[in-house]
Amino acid sequence: MRLRGSGGILLLLLAGCQLVEFSPNQAYVPTRERSLTAQNLRRLEVQPADDTLRFVFVGDTQRFYDETEAFVASVNRQRAVDFVLVGGDISDFGLTREFRWVNQRLAALRVPYLTVIGNHDLVGNGSAVYQHIYGPLNYTFQYQQTRFICLDNNGREYGFGRQVPDVSWLRQQLADTAGTRRTIVVGHMPPTDEDFDPQLVPAYTAALRGCPQLVFHLAAHVHRFTAGQPFHDRVTYLTTYSLQKKRYHILTVWGQREFRLETVTYGAGN
Amino acid sequence: MVAGMLAVVLLPTASARAQHAAGPYFLTLHVAGGTGLVALGGGYRLAHERLEPELLVGYVPRRLSGGKALAIFTLKTTWLPWKVGLGAARWQTQPVTLGAMVNYTTGQQFFLTNNTAGRYRPGYYWWSSAVRLGLLAGTRLSYGRPGSARTAAYAELSTNDLHLVSALTNHSLRLPDILTLGGGLKQTLK
Repeated sequence: MRLRGSGGILLLLLAGCQLVEFSPNQAYVPTRERSLTAQNLRRLEVQPADDTLRFVFVGDTQRFYDETEAFVASVNRQRAVDFVLVGGDISDFGLTREFRWVNQRLAALRVPYLTVIGNHDLVGNGSAVYQHIYGPLNYTFQYQQTRFICLDNNGREYGFGRQVPDVSWLRQQLADTAGTRRTIVVGHMPPTDEDFDPQLVPAYTAALRGCPQLVFHLAAHVHRFTAGQPFHDRVTYLTTYSLQKKRYHILTVWGQREFRLETVTYGAGN
Repeated sequence: MVAGMLAVVLLPTASARAQHAAGPYFLTLHVAGGTGLVALGGGYRLAHERLEPELLVGYVPRRLSGGKALAIFTLKTTWLPWKVGLGAARWQTQPVTLGAMVNYTTGQQFFLTNNTAGRYRPGYYWWSSAVRLGLLAGTRLSYGRPGSARTAAYAELSTNDLHLVSALTNHSLRLPDILTLGGGLKQTLK
């Protein structure tokens, strides 16, 4: 986003301050709050690596700002956590300021954080807002010999119609195993949910089944912990808590497909 | 109230005849405040110039919307409870202005209700992503010779329904977090 001339400079000054907003749906945010996925991946790259992959997984920060602060305080007390993965529904209404409020809190994490887009984040102009603030809706990264495939699988938001998730993109990413031992797929929707495009469930689950180095599929949306192999194909599907539940998971992954799941409860009372 | 505002804005001639005591027309140039980068419009002063209903059409360019440019249609009413002269008769201030607004943002990505979007079960999302309700408080300074057109500059802070809901359900969100600054000029037409 390039701004020219004095009008552009004035606009930049005004928009840098949260008080000045041209629309609650604007995608425009100050430069330092843009491309957070890339910013966090750069931090992850230079982070000293050890021999165990250990990350926090939580979902649905949507309008739980108080809880997000307590969550950050708790995660910052954890040792040997590599990064935090937020499973989508960062915002409740898809509004710019909600994403900024969440980032203002998650930026206090001592480790980088990464996100996938949730259905609430796609409401209104949320898709454009997310892409400005975080980056692409589908992306991958590698860390500790593990390939993470993060994707938008919120089919209902697109009116279904076999558009989302992009299964052919997913297949390509799953096939690309060069330099990695393991693959983890993360999307907001579990494919067992009614908000997942029903016509794409067979292709999606078949793609995952076809990846021998897949550890598990991570999702949020349902606001509770579930774990199982619902398609009876030895593919493990996990879902995590929303921040409101004051619980999160720490996943430790080693070997080919070994993992341990810990649940952390934080904050007192309600 | 909205219907009343519409009638006033859309049928100014009729209301001018009907309300002899009502004030003149005005044009508005508004900046920011959640109603577009700039918004243009106008309205009609009522109730001894204490009430100002107006219609604004705002523009959000591509570089701000992140996609297609957006238009925001805003119906707004400002209440000006008192007026203070500033020594010289040409200068006046209305130190406190209060108002309410409702606006509609164009674009296929916005739904009026989650039912009109056609892809959700009833109640899936309880709010409208296209329509925002707002409350505002501000101040105003105006200049004009007695009996001739007046120009007013104003600034106001506003919030909208969804930002307010967010703050009411979280202790860690403070009032400044949900406020939006806007301002502009109003030119009375003779």
